Amino acid sequence: MTQPASEAPQAPTPPAEAPPATKGGGRRPALGLHADVRNLSLLGVLAALVLVGGITQPDAFLDVSNLQLVLTQASVIGVVTVGMTFVITSGGIDLSVGAIVALASVWATTLATQEYGFTGILFTAVVVGVGCGLVNGVLIAYGGMVPFIATLAMLASARGLALYLTDGKTQIVTVNSVLDLGLPATYVLGIPPLVLVFAGVTVIGWLVLNRTTFGRRTVAVGGNAEAARLAGIDVRRQRLYLYLLSGLCCGIAAFMLIILSGSGQNTNGNLYELDAIAAAIIGGTLLSGGRGTIVGSVLGVLVFITIQNIFALNNLESAVQQIAKGAIIVAAVLVQRSTVRNGDG
Amino acid sequence: MPRIPVTSRRGLLFGAAAVSAGAALTACTSNEPKKAGTAATTAAAADDKPGTPVTIGFAGPQADHGWLNAINQNAKDRAAKYSEVTLEITEGSNDTAAQIGQIQTLINKKVDVLVILPADGKALTQVGLQAMKAGIPVINLDRVFASPQAYRCWIGGDNYGMGLNAGRYIGEQLKDKPDAKVVELAGIDNLELTRQRTQGFDDALKNYPNIKKVARQAAEFTVETGQAKMAQLLQAQKQFDALWNHDDDQGVGALRAIAQAGRDDFFMVGGAGSKSAMDAIKADNGVLKATVLYPPTMAASAIDLARALGQKKGVGGMSELEIPASITLYSAVVTKENVDEYLPTGFI
Amino acid sequence: MSGITKSFPGVRALDGVDLDVQAGEVHCLLGQNGAGKSTLIKVLAGAHQPDGGEITWRGEPVSLRSPIAAMRLGIATIYQELDLVEGLSVAENVFLGHEPTTAGFVVRGRDARREAAVLLRRLGHAEIDPARHVGDLSAAQQQIVSMARALSHDVRLIVMDEPSAALDPEETDNLLRIVGQLTADGVAVVYISHRLEEIRRVGDRVTVLKDGRAVANGLPAKSMPTREIVALMTGRDVEYVFPRRPAAPRSGDPVLRVEGLARDGEFAAVDLEVRPGEIVGLAGLVGSGRSEILETLYGARKPTAGRVTVDGRPLKPGSVRSAVRAGMGLAPEERKAQALLMLESVTRNVSVSTLTRFSRAGWLDRREERRAARESTRSLSLRPDNPDALVRTLSGGNQQKAVLARWLLRGCRVLLLDEPTRGVDVGARAELYAVIRRLADDGLAVLLVSSEVPEVLGLADRVLVLREGRVVHAAPATELDEHRVLDLVMEGSPSR
Repeated sequence: MTQPASEAPQAPTPPAEAPPATKGGGRRPALGLHADVRNLSLLGVLAALVLVGGITQPDAFLDVSNLQLVLTQASVIGVVTVGMTFVITSGGIDLSVGAIVALASVWATTLATQEYGFTGILFTAVVVGVGCGLVNGVLIAYGGMVPFIATLAMLASARGLALYLTDGKTQIVTVNSVLDLGLPATYVLGIPPLVLVFAGVTVIGWLVLNRTTFGRRTVAVGGNAEAARLAGIDVRRQRLYLYLLSGLCCGIAAFMLIILSGSGQNTNGNLYELDAIAAAIIGGTLLSGGRGTIVGSVLGVLVFITIQNIFALNNLESAVQQIAKGAIIVAAVLVQRSTVRNGDG
Repeated sequence: MPRIPVTSRRGLLFGAAAVSAGAALTACTSNEPKKAGTAATTAAAADDKPGTPVTIGFAGPQADHGWLNAINQNAKDRAAKYSEVTLEITEGSNDTAAQIGQIQTLINKKVDVLVILPADGKALTQVGLQAMKAGIPVINLDRVFASPQAYRCWIGGDNYGMGLNAGRYIGEQLKDKPDAKVVELAGIDNLELTRQRTQGFDDALKNYPNIKKVARQAAEFTVETGQAKMAQLLQAQKQFDALWNHDDDQGVGALRAIAQAGRDDFFMVGGAGSKSAMDAIKADNGVLKATVLYPPTMAASAIDLARALGQKKGVGGMSELEIPASITLYSAVVTKENVDEYLPTGFI
Repeated sequence: MSGITKSFPGVRALDGVDLDVQAGEVHCLLGQNGAGKSTLIKVLAGAHQPDGGEITWRGEPVSLRSPIAAMRLGIATIYQELDLVEGLSVAENVFLGHEPTTAGFVVRGRDARREAAVLLRRLGHAEIDPARHVGDLSAAQQQIVSMARALSHDVRLIVMDEPSAALDPEETDNLLRIVGQLTADGVAVVYISHRLEEIRRVGDRVTVLKDGRAVANGLPAKSMPTREIVALMTGRDVEYVFPRRPAAPRSGDPVLRVEGLARDGEFAAVDLEVRPGEIVGLAGLVGSGRSEILETLYGARKPTAGRVTVDGRPLKPGSVRSAVRAGMGLAPEERKAQALLMLESVTRNVSVSTLTRFSRAGWLDRREERRAARESTRSLSLRPDNPDALVRTLSGGNQQKAVLARWLLRGCRVLLLDEPTRGVDVGARAELYAVIRRLADDGLAVLLVSSEVPEVLGLADRVLVLREGRVVHAAPATELDEHRVLDLVMEGSPSR
């Protein structure tokens, strides 16, 4: 509505004459203004939470072991959320992430798998994750199924298969090389290995989304799939890759969960899909696709985990925690909307 | 009362990958019937000698976790022990309508006795009444029907008693310690059984004024949530003396969190009675010192009761001619001292 | 209505249009695509608010703030795309929003069905069962339901936007009979159609729109000669400035060759060739298969027969990627829906088809991407000259340039343009024409589709005229004029 379209009917200017006027000032970070503002507002929410935590529980909240704890608890769902952010950015949705985590963690901890030790468990978790992602991707990209339905079907089947494999029993891990990764002895400069993996996945995810052709195509497919197709992008293949990526993240997360809980159980990853979607959305990724921010998603995860942490440290009931979580989702989104609108103005 | 809603059953599931389930359960059910707390307190009136043939219909929920698996296994193994008993076991279902249909089929087949562990006790009351009216006595297992007319005998666990015995055990251990602190890791908070367990625990602790419960968090009967909630509890409470965890399954996660935090300043009491918890109690090399039972062997006892009913006999050790209308199992405390007795009943 | 003005971003859709409709008459609106007919009736229906002008209803000035306000006054509109709810029954559709109720909320379904049946009988379609789902009805029957809906209000004026477009001759006859009946009852009808013979049969007076202005008001419908109407439709106030054609027609082998291309129900046996440096135009009415041909040879639709070759190499049918790889580029008709990433910057819109060139192992060289995209947009004088400007803030003409820059950057050899000036301000069109011609001069083969005949004639070197999915005439543009083309595309109207 701003441009009254006043080009003069003149011959096009040759490129050589173009002035290099906006060389310095015109550059903006790749995340774009919106993402920045959203991230800032989420950082504000996080800072407020830290303040609340610090005031109510100065000893337990503000200490290194609690920081380790919060980051560790965030790491599993965080990795899942990175994959989810890609899928949502492309205009899709993956409801099966929790079920895939469950299936991968269960498959990777069967007695037969455990005989192959560390690599056997890691390999199985990743392969199962990617395999489920492959099925999702093929159904959606080449089978023409709606992502919501295809991944809902995967949710049901993967949970069912996980239950079938375990008979509902908890599969305890006896491979020490896996278990040790959850213990303080393996912390690197005070950083738990799980947190390192989370950080690595985040950085790689950010680079892929913002600095590679893959990321650019993801955004294009999410922003306007028809335009992307007519621009010569192989939209179907891109979609296939995206669900593979989400499955891969689930496989990695399943391995991390095995390390954290020392077991595989068919109830693992319960409701991860909702937590991951919620974190991505309050982080600033558009549910309709076309815009995604890894940093925002990770901040979203940290906000949720910090809320849980503060409530647990203050010994509040689960019911109160759930109410507060809902309220904070609404508040975070409202704060974002107003800041974005102002930033836009 | 001791009705366990579907989700809660997860809490009772426990696993140890190293030992196969079948072996442990067989060991359990074929055990000599003298030990208190096991289901092997066999009826004497109805003795082990073959009597008149009895067909028992058994309908349970879907065996989607270890505790229910153990229930099914206990029932099957016990029935196999008696040459004259035929067990008609249905495909387990968590769908009320499906389970009603299965039970009606058993009624139509005119089985002699029905053993029913309903997916939802209240919802299946009608079909229990139907069976009783058709002249088929019903043994109601664990999750109780809404009306006593719907069953001939109810047998099940005691959630309040679990909490009470856990509290008593902890109280006795800490009674000489001034200002003792206790932490509770509960199960799913919106289940009645969780509240019953907590109530029993709190009531027991009231007898020990020197003990204070300083924190309580609710996990969700899963390893994952057990780890997460325990980690937070440990962060919040830098020092305490005892921990009661409602459920040995989430206890796997809780123990993991304790190991990850490197804590050993307290002792821990579990719940339900899983094999791995008992193994740990026996080894006595960690914080876990005891667990209170919620035994799946009740299914074996139910088969015994059904057989006695079918053969019109009573149970041994009682003066009455008839078997009782209701049997509440005792939630025994398993410690290092008596763990060998209970180890065979530990479920995976 | 008098002096109605309506502007959209970048375009003035209506520029002081006057229209008066009397009770019991059929007033026909004529005009080419984009002349402003649709906008005008949306103003009448209360769906658009005019920027200026006055609407008088039975002598009183009124403002139609919403479709409901218009409906309350007794103005009903039957849109081209029928706005029925397919999952509801006929009766439910007819009374949607004003269902007969008990106590204000309990719908009296039986009454609704009975009253719907009465309305349908009045329209001569008693055979439509009010209880049936609208989705199960034919297009003609749906049209009747739409009309029943209009009549279910106390309606004084019905606006019909190309009501006969989806109907066969027999159904059209019935429609015209109903229109006659309505006017006999004193209802006024505003009737929009491309088909002159219908207008002649049913119409009383005609208003001709052209570039958002009414160039003729209240002409007698029965007696106007076709030539005169066509002249009114095409005569223009704004002369387009077209770039000069090269002196000699291009020779050499065609880059693009299309042989026997067909798609069932859309077009058949299309042959065409485009040489480097040549602009070939496709002219035809809506529904003549213009856009469909373009999209099919681009691979966006799968042909049922025929083949497309670029430089002699056949393309994989139905594969956009094959077409793009062979050097084809499409600037589609619906720019926002089909070409642009509206949330993204100019750079990213331009580079989207060329990402691999700026990447090594998938890693983007964003500096190079930006530089190259900017070079491309500058060569087309895209304004503003800011690679980070969001594409949604650009005017229509500059958005189109962003699309062209995309293909220019890709180094494409064959450019397919579908309505390149749709939504582009009249003043900005000349510049776009110059850009297109210059691209051709640089060696591109251009295939142009436009519903504006002068645009095709002014810009193209050769013109193919389409009618009902077939090429009916092919000639150099200089040998054709607008009247001739309109005659060709409208041929079959009995008036000629």
